[in-house]
Amino acid sequence: MQIIENSKVKEKLYIEKLDNGLTIMIIPKKGIQKKYIIWGTHYGSNDSKFIVPGDKQETEVPKGVAHFLEHKMFEQENGINSLDALTALGVEANAYTTNDHTAYLFECTENFYPALDEFMDYVQHPFFTDENVEKEKGIIGQEIMMYDDYPEWKVYLNSLEAMYFEHPVKLDITGTIETISHIDKDILYKCYNTFYNPSNMVMVVCGDFVPEDLLEEIKKRLIDKKSNGEIKRIYPNEKEEIVQEKIEQNMDVSEPLFSIGIKDKEETGKEKVKKHIAIEILLNLLIGKSSKLFQELYNDGILYSIPSLDYEFGTGYAHILVTGQSKYPDEVYKKFKETIKNLKKDGINKEEFERIRKTIYGGYIREFNDPGDIARMFLADYFKGINSFDYIEEIPIVNENYLEQVLNNVFKEEKMILSVIKK
Amino acid sequence: MKQIEREIKKGIKIHLIKNEKFKTNLVAVFLSMPITRENVTKNSLLSAVLRRGSMNMQTSEEINKNLEEMYGASFDNGLDKIGDNDILKFYMETINDNFIPQNGENMLKSSIEKLLEIIFNPLIIEGKFKEEYIEQEKENIKRIIEGKTDNKARFAFDRCIEEMYKNKPYGLYKYGYIEDLEQINSQNLYEYYKDMISKCKIDIFVSGEINEDTLNIIEENKNIKQLNDRNSQIILDIEKKEKIQEKEIVEQMDVTQGKIVIGLDFNLNDENQKYDVLLYNAILGGTASSKMFQEVREKASLAYTASSSYIKYKSNIFIRCGIEIKNYEKAKEIIRKQLIDMENGKFTDNDIQNAKKSIISSIKCIDDEQDTEIMYYFGQEFSKTKLPIDEYIKKVQNISKENIINVAKLMQVNTIYFLKNKE
Repeated sequence: MQIIENSKVKEKLYIEKLDNGLTIMIIPKKGIQKKYIIWGTHYGSNDSKFIVPGDKQETEVPKGVAHFLEHKMFEQENGINSLDALTALGVEANAYTTNDHTAYLFECTENFYPALDEFMDYVQHPFFTDENVEKEKGIIGQEIMMYDDYPEWKVYLNSLEAMYFEHPVKLDITGTIETISHIDKDILYKCYNTFYNPSNMVMVVCGDFVPEDLLEEIKKRLIDKKSNGEIKRIYPNEKEEIVQEKIEQNMDVSEPLFSIGIKDKEETGKEKVKKHIAIEILLNLLIGKSSKLFQELYNDGILYSIPSLDYEFGTGYAHILVTGQSKYPDEVYKKFKETIKNLKKDGINKEEFERIRKTIYGGYIREFNDPGDIARMFLADYFKGINSFDYIEEIPIVNENYLEQVLNNVFKEEKMILSVIKK
Repeated sequence: MKQIEREIKKGIKIHLIKNEKFKTNLVAVFLSMPITRENVTKNSLLSAVLRRGSMNMQTSEEINKNLEEMYGASFDNGLDKIGDNDILKFYMETINDNFIPQNGENMLKSSIEKLLEIIFNPLIIEGKFKEEYIEQEKENIKRIIEGKTDNKARFAFDRCIEEMYKNKPYGLYKYGYIEDLEQINSQNLYEYYKDMISKCKIDIFVSGEINEDTLNIIEENKNIKQLNDRNSQIILDIEKKEKIQEKEIVEQMDVTQGKIVIGLDFNLNDENQKYDVLLYNAILGGTASSKMFQEVREKASLAYTASSSYIKYKSNIFIRCGIEIKNYEKAKEIIRKQLIDMENGKFTDNDIQNAKKSIISSIKCIDDEQDTEIMYYFGQEFSKTKLPIDEYIKKVQNISKENIINVAKLMQVNTIYFLKNKE
């Protein structure tokens, strides 16, 4: 196994790519009780148009299949539900779907290997019937309706709606009640066979393990499957412009929720990490806890808690989101734009920049406390072509010049949108 | 050394938990007192005002800059109800010195000092809190109180508790009441603060890379030295539940999905039955193999969320489901059937084993997370028990089916609360 060590956070990553294409990453953690394993496929809600390896023409499936598959994977041919079987072993199992990947996981203190049997068995053996697919539509329907009652979710989706013309990132991960009604077992099998191939999957384990022994145990449990070659994913050509600057929806909220978005373009290679760090620093300088703008908005009663600051990116998309709650979202938006303008004019203050850089460094170190956080981070970053250690290594490299460059290239008024949910 | 406890003054306890597997050190201070209608709003406002500034760090901007310099130390505070007590919680987390690029800084010492400064040396001007901070924070608390309807699932849960504990301490809303807020000013809040800080129970926790010096740092801190002995007045007993007529409350709001909350009452015959209830709850709705999850979600396909939780300090179980509104009667019927099945012992030895495994696994993970471990020891302060983790596990292991049936027979429905759409 290849070993990558990071001396700053004092952790090691063991990584191996098997002959069938499966990548395995192990981060040993001495003295921790909890063991955490996650197995992900590079297949998320964005992947509804693709070419199956070996096929000539493209396949298009209804929105929400990746998530539907995630729900249905637990059911086994012998009538056993693997979620129950895992729970019965005293382990906590779960699964989730994002825009670009689907992940299956469990965490435990005891019974790791018996649970690994069940875990690797069910992910490798789908069992879909007309009946069990129909039944799931009721449960997922309830999940969709639950999200309908979350204003936080709506303000987010609407902000994407305002930024993207075509890119599927703007669609609900679950699909809609209408789109899932078209899902049947054949569609599920087709997507499973395409995307749940070892060459499209990654397994990450974190806990008190001897990596070489664990690797052998994992190999023993893999069924014989050949690497199936490259899946061509088809994403629409997204314009650089935004769709509309403002988007509003009425919901029963005590105070408006807002999300300010800035549409960006995806970077390649190490540049992704560097840019991500730069954007984090810039957002903190602009509207972070110690920023003048936040203090001013707080003192004026316009903001009463720190907005969340995010940078999201994946194949064919990238955007910044500043999300919070305020009586006067337009005021926040206006002031935020002014502050950007001023920062461009005045330049970066060295002292502030160094302070924020320290903060962000501390934040990355903290991500390495919990085995679950660590494993999920390595998995999600991997699918974006990033090794999570890179963040710690790239921080010292980001300088004022680079920050100013990102500030000028990304924080553009014509790329900004405001999404609001109010009564 | 694992955990050290020392009462440095009457009613003031230091708890040190040595745990070297983390990247961080966590300091927590809890102020506890009985919850009353008279004080709940004052505590809520106080909690907000204290984080605005101290004598040596007069603005939140200054506090935040200090924290950022400490590699993004995080300060957090909040309110909690434990039984009939109101808890003001304050936390500070820093990365530990091993992960700081420049050596020689004692981050734990500065975080302890900063946290104690914020709590015990607030900014007082001419015998009053700063006027401006009081006015701004009153406005903020008002917004929080008005915002309690935003999260509908949480709101339904709070409403059920409120109905079950009408005019009783536990029914109080932890953020307080708008009409009471109006009576508070910078002077009377300071008077209250002085009184409260001289009477409340104080617990100071430090988790992480501690040593002999840590105790000294706290004991010798000038803000701690000035505190007096006190007789803690916290309420440890659970009142006897009277047999009441079951209540059903249906309310309407703008929701897509209906939210059911069912509150159960019970009187335990002895302390040890708490562990039996823990198991009862796990089988009823605590895990993915529980009756609620299996019968309501999986078999009847009625819900996406279906679970129950056990509130140890009040002897209550709350069952919570998100369902399609038209299925209300059906869902109630299925839930009731689960309760009856529990009483009649309609659960298998397997169910018991699964529940035990799940509980034991979470017990074993207590010391994998710093705040969980702190809350575990703090909880012991309130349950008058000193229970090491391995004995806790033993108690759970020894529970029999009969024990569970016995507590099942004690359960009585107090309130069924349903939040549905406006017609």
